[in-house]
Amino acid sequence: MKKNKGKAGSTAEKEFVFEFRAGKHNCVLKVPLQFAVQENINDLHGRLMLLHKIPCYIENALRTSLISYIEKETILDYDREAELALQRLTTGEVDVNQLTTAWTRSYVETTLEHARPEEPSWDEDFADVYHELIHSPASDTLLNLEHNYFVSISELISERDMEIKKLQERQAAEMDKVMHELGNTLSDQDVNTVASQHFDAQQVLENKWANELKQVTGIQKQEYQEWVIKLHQDLQKSNNSSKINEEIKVQPSQLSELADSGARMFEEQPQLEESFTIHLGAQLKTMHNLRLVRADVLDFCKHRRHGSSGAKLRRLQTALSLYSSTLCGLVLLVDNRVNSYSGIKRDFATVAKECTDFHFPCLEKQLEEVQQVVLYARAQRSSKQKDQPEISRNGGDDKSKNVERNPSNILPGEFYISRHSNLSEVHVVFHLCVDDNVRSGNITARDPAIMGLRNILKVCCTHDITTITVPLLLVHDMSEEMTIPWCLKRAELVFKCVKGFMMEMASWDGGISRTVQFLVPKSISEEMFYQLSNMLPQIFRVSSTLTLTSKH
Amino acid sequence: MKPLKDAQLGAFTFFASALPHDVCGSNGLPLTPNSIKILGRFQLLKTLTHPRLCQYVDISRGKHERLIVVAEHYESNLSDFQKHGKTTSPQKVLQLAYEVLEGLEFMNKHGMVHRALSPHNVLMDCKGNVKLAKFGLYHMTDHGADVDFPIGYPSYLAPEVIAQGSFHPSDPAHDEGPLPSGPKTDVWSLGVLLFELCTGRRLLQNIDIAKRLKFILTLGCMDDIVTVLAEEHGCLDLIKDLPENVLELLRKCLTFRPSKRPTPAELLRDLVFSDVSCFYTSFQKPVSLFSSSLRCAHLELPEDISDLCKDDGDDDYLSERAIDEVYHLWCLAGGDLEKELTNKEIIQSKPPVCTLSNFVLEDGESFGQGRDRSFLLDDTTVTLSLCQLRNRLKDVAGEAYYPLLEDEQSSLPQSNSSNELSSTVTLPLIIRERDTEYQLIRIILFDRLLKAYPYKKNLVWKEARVDIPPLVRGLAWAALLGIEGDIQAKYESIDKDTPIPTDRQIEVDIPRCHQYDELLSSPQGHVKFRRVLKAWVVSHPDLVYWQGLDSLCAPFLYLNFNNEALAYACMSAFIPKYLYNFFLKDNSHVIQEYLTVFSQMIAFHDPELSNHLNEIGFIPDLYAIPWFLTMFTHVFPLHKIFHLWDTLLLGNSSFPFCIGVAILQQLRDRLLANGFNECILLFSDLPEIDIERCVHESINLFCWTPKSTTYRQHAQPPKGSGDSSFGKTATYYSSDYQDTPKTDLSREPLALCDLKAEVSPRISAEDLIDLCELSLAGPTKRTKAGRPKIVAVDIRSVEDFNRGHISGSINIPFNTTFSPDGELLQCPATGLLQNYRGRVIVVISHAMKSAAMFATHLVKVNLLRVCVLDGGINKMKPTGLLTVPSPQI
Repeated sequence: MKKNKGKAGSTAEKEFVFEFRAGKHNCVLKVPLQFAVQENINDLHGRLMLLHKIPCYIENALRTSLISYIEKETILDYDREAELALQRLTTGEVDVNQLTTAWTRSYVETTLEHARPEEPSWDEDFADVYHELIHSPASDTLLNLEHNYFVSISELISERDMEIKKLQERQAAEMDKVMHELGNTLSDQDVNTVASQHFDAQQVLENKWANELKQVTGIQKQEYQEWVIKLHQDLQKSNNSSKINEEIKVQPSQLSELADSGARMFEEQPQLEESFTIHLGAQLKTMHNLRLVRADVLDFCKHRRHGSSGAKLRRLQTALSLYSSTLCGLVLLVDNRVNSYSGIKRDFATVAKECTDFHFPCLEKQLEEVQQVVLYARAQRSSKQKDQPEISRNGGDDKSKNVERNPSNILPGEFYISRHSNLSEVHVVFHLCVDDNVRSGNITARDPAIMGLRNILKVCCTHDITTITVPLLLVHDMSEEMTIPWCLKRAELVFKCVKGFMMEMASWDGGISRTVQFLVPKSISEEMFYQLSNMLPQIFRVSSTLTLTSKH
Repeated sequence: MKPLKDAQLGAFTFFASALPHDVCGSNGLPLTPNSIKILGRFQLLKTLTHPRLCQYVDISRGKHERLIVVAEHYESNLSDFQKHGKTTSPQKVLQLAYEVLEGLEFMNKHGMVHRALSPHNVLMDCKGNVKLAKFGLYHMTDHGADVDFPIGYPSYLAPEVIAQGSFHPSDPAHDEGPLPSGPKTDVWSLGVLLFELCTGRRLLQNIDIAKRLKFILTLGCMDDIVTVLAEEHGCLDLIKDLPENVLELLRKCLTFRPSKRPTPAELLRDLVFSDVSCFYTSFQKPVSLFSSSLRCAHLELPEDISDLCKDDGDDDYLSERAIDEVYHLWCLAGGDLEKELTNKEIIQSKPPVCTLSNFVLEDGESFGQGRDRSFLLDDTTVTLSLCQLRNRLKDVAGEAYYPLLEDEQSSLPQSNSSNELSSTVTLPLIIRERDTEYQLIRIILFDRLLKAYPYKKNLVWKEARVDIPPLVRGLAWAALLGIEGDIQAKYESIDKDTPIPTDRQIEVDIPRCHQYDELLSSPQGHVKFRRVLKAWVVSHPDLVYWQGLDSLCAPFLYLNFNNEALAYACMSAFIPKYLYNFFLKDNSHVIQEYLTVFSQMIAFHDPELSNHLNEIGFIPDLYAIPWFLTMFTHVFPLHKIFHLWDTLLLGNSSFPFCIGVAILQQLRDRLLANGFNECILLFSDLPEIDIERCVHESINLFCWTPKSTTYRQHAQPPKGSGDSSFGKTATYYSSDYQDTPKTDLSREPLALCDLKAEVSPRISAEDLIDLCELSLAGPTKRTKAGRPKIVAVDIRSVEDFNRGHISGSINIPFNTTFSPDGELLQCPATGLLQNYRGRVIVVISHAMKSAAMFATHLVKVNLLRVCVLDGGINKMKPTGLLTVPSPQI
């Protein structure tokens, strides 16, 4: 009730007066009471009896009179407040229209009865249909179809790569020739012209392919969605499911052949990984799984080529859980620009394009949307900051300058989210913005990157992402300055922070068991990896192995 | 709680509002989620029982701040009257109004306001009586501050409520919550409701909300609101035809100015009800178990007792059980609230992947996420079908619902399925607690026994030894602890408000005590925690608050959340029994003695482990103080404490030693394999302990422990004999060693340093006589398997031994084992003792020193259960129980 205390008039001290006779004496008991009375009246009564040594034959009389006094006064208080509110209306202090629209808004926005009817959403309907199908015998067919599409896209891509490579080879040869003639028959300008011609040619070719890919994916997506809806309708219509099953089953045999023939060798890098089961909490313990993995971050996104064992299972697993409440997420460290032009962003975009996303908009579109949302968020923030200028944290000036320079850029610790149905082990990608600071050795638990991790885990809680992959060292690639002590220090920090966040999460979601995968770059040595895996059980409490012993 | 009768169970759901991002409380700890605050406040509603109110039964938290409330429910409500567009007879209107007001008055007395009165929240039971539903919503949401939606329905809001404004959470202009409404707002809502009944029309049905509210506010300028309303709805004739008292009632309810409007209590006594009020008697609260008044004072038996036995032809015994029992069983029989609500499409959830936001700022605020429709309020109440439960219980015979308590022989009532039940008893506790039929039988049995408490105290003890059904655990524990008397009055008379120096420490400890639990982490839980702890500290001036008392309080508070007095009484009874003087300002002598006895117990039961721990210096002082000071409540989560204490409360004050040894034994392998540092680490965060195994082990250990071995000088002194006069005859295991009358043969106090020097515990001559069945009076009553087997080892010289010894004892002279200067000699005799492995070995000698030394040696070679006769052979001499072997011929 603290909030009411600030208001004038809602707390007031009043005096309770009680008279009684003790023998020949007339006694008067006066008690100052704070209104509104928060404490238990029986306690108050007991305390008065004790404190003033009131004879016990008065006990019941005192109680009744105390209760009725408090009741009466409380009613009076309520009345006064109520009358005041009505008065404010009549005096025009409060605008009636504003008041009633506020009421209307709160009813419309929070109750189903008064809410505007919902427009049907294609996405959600499709989600329901797909979720139902993937959990039916038709799942196999769905997967095969998806795979089929994937194969045709990857054929297209390899064709593209081939053509671009040819062009580049040709151009290189041409350039060699030109360079050879440089100074003899050709001038610098001529070289430049040739170079720019080459560049243009490359651009044209790439654009052509990009368009082609876009078109194919568009067609695939539409075909696929129509097919899924149709299949669902057919299934619903016919009660004779066996017939349908046969209908569906025709395709797989063809597909499996395809899959076999297309078996290209895909060299899988030896992944190092180690798993731990841990307990968190002092008394009530919650169990979680941790995994330390040495791999490339994009390995979680890339589809293994056909033939590699488990590829299909992994695909099925991802598809099954797409609309469930056990999602998988991945943290990708990006710079402050929302696009896919360079570095890991570009690599990721390439992987995301390798396979058509049949459920969500393509990455480009999602990023466009994010850009708009970022601008909107900035506008909201700055208007809010104008309202409350005093609430600017230290370093706030620095940041706001940065934002003013380019509001579409994001800041370290902020992240945007993209959704995918076409990656091998991941549904949700958190693009966490980090700056060069993470390369230095002295970041603390208050670093924006770490706070970003915390917020990511929070989103995991609210949106049922039960498996999350985190780059342990907060970098994707190793470089010179990342020495062994640097790695150990960084790993310890991230382990400890994640442990803290996980304990916090237990209070947010009631301790649902989750899996956290810590990812270390591929270039790390085996020795280093085992050093890190030795560190983990020292920080987390690893659950005891279950020993089965016979009773003695 | 009242019986189910013709009621049904209903559930409705809503969301608590989400907390702002990254805001900390004033104490630096994270804020309590709103759903937990609501859950804590809800508990009080369970205690509100009145014939005009729907009984609240339970609340549960779902994912993402969802709350599901379970309450008594009826299918028919007042909106049924309105559906047909017919008017209701004036007589009926008066009756309904009176009954609603009865309910409101009762609520007001408990400091609550309905605020959400509307036709579909006024339910009707089969007899057509009013039952108010959702009356607790306003209370549990802290006047609507913890939820996003406004409480109440637009047409029925009182003008002052509208004027005070709605406080939409997204509205940044209002940081403060809404002002609380008074009882008079309900009277207005009732007025609108009655008006609708009289005219058969819904108020301003076709106008949008804003205009509707504006219209209500403009009523302030009118003289005669009832007439204006009637004109607006074109039903002036109907109103004019109403009898004067109904019209008067409407006018009184629809008084615009709150100060002129009567409260429900005033209205109830108004003359308009003079025709109706005579049909109603005021509600008497049933007397609770612990009170000064007589529970059966007003019981009237009919002249002919057989009237009671008349069969109504009604076999529905389940509906005679209390609502919370039925709900508990419903859950056991596979009831799932979320599933029921999802089936009725009240809970609609979107796949989480579709509702992700696009962008999140560094402080955690997210953007780009549309408003999710599935979070909107749909407060339809769904009836929970009892079919599955009834089906499950269809084989339970009617007699099972009314077990006879006279027969002390058989605990379980005879029924068709009694064979099944008796086989259930042997199943693990976890399974029994989830067995619907078994729980039904147990709950009924305990319910009846507890109603007859303290008269049936013995039977409660007996049944508690089988198990305690979770639903009645609070009261069952109180019975086991022997709580009696008017605890409420006693609790109220303790001053819990005046600040005391301990407050600060209590304030620090509470937010760290079993906070994973929803109840105990709620603000209400904290308040109650504080009050019970303070009451204990204030009422025990010779004792002080030590950290750990909070943990000790937690299980009692959790079980008796709505009955602080009982929680306090249980705690006050528990502490002297198991933790006598542990909370002294200087408790070191008590704790030191306790720990020494504990380490003797480790040596007694597990010499190998004891040797190892002593070797690495890992003494009980380093780990066991929080165990015993909090009776394990600091180390285990609540659900494990319950199972542990179910047994602990049946044992005597030395039972905790056995639990301690049992815990160590569960970690035995790891302890034996590790050195000091690893052991410290291991215990700093105790690994998971299998509690059922722990309980079994400790019972086993307890049976092998002669009572006098755990003798403590600083234990609770024997109680006065008058104390145990009522009912209970103490059994061997539940009574304390200290309680048995002290004789010459009992153990004598020992200085702490001497006690510490001895590795093995001492046994009293009395126990020895008892266990060897030497008593002259012939074999004692207790002869069965439960008692430990014993072997007495006489270490005096052969000559002394021949002059007289305890019959059945074996002679291993001390000087054959030890050289005169105390060195160990080659000893064939210890090999002899291996033959008696498993028995309790009692070492007897002249001098205690040599006996202790001998015992130490036996422990060194890992012999189990070694103890020393207190006082040596000299104690035995006066008893005349020593025998002289007949000279060999």
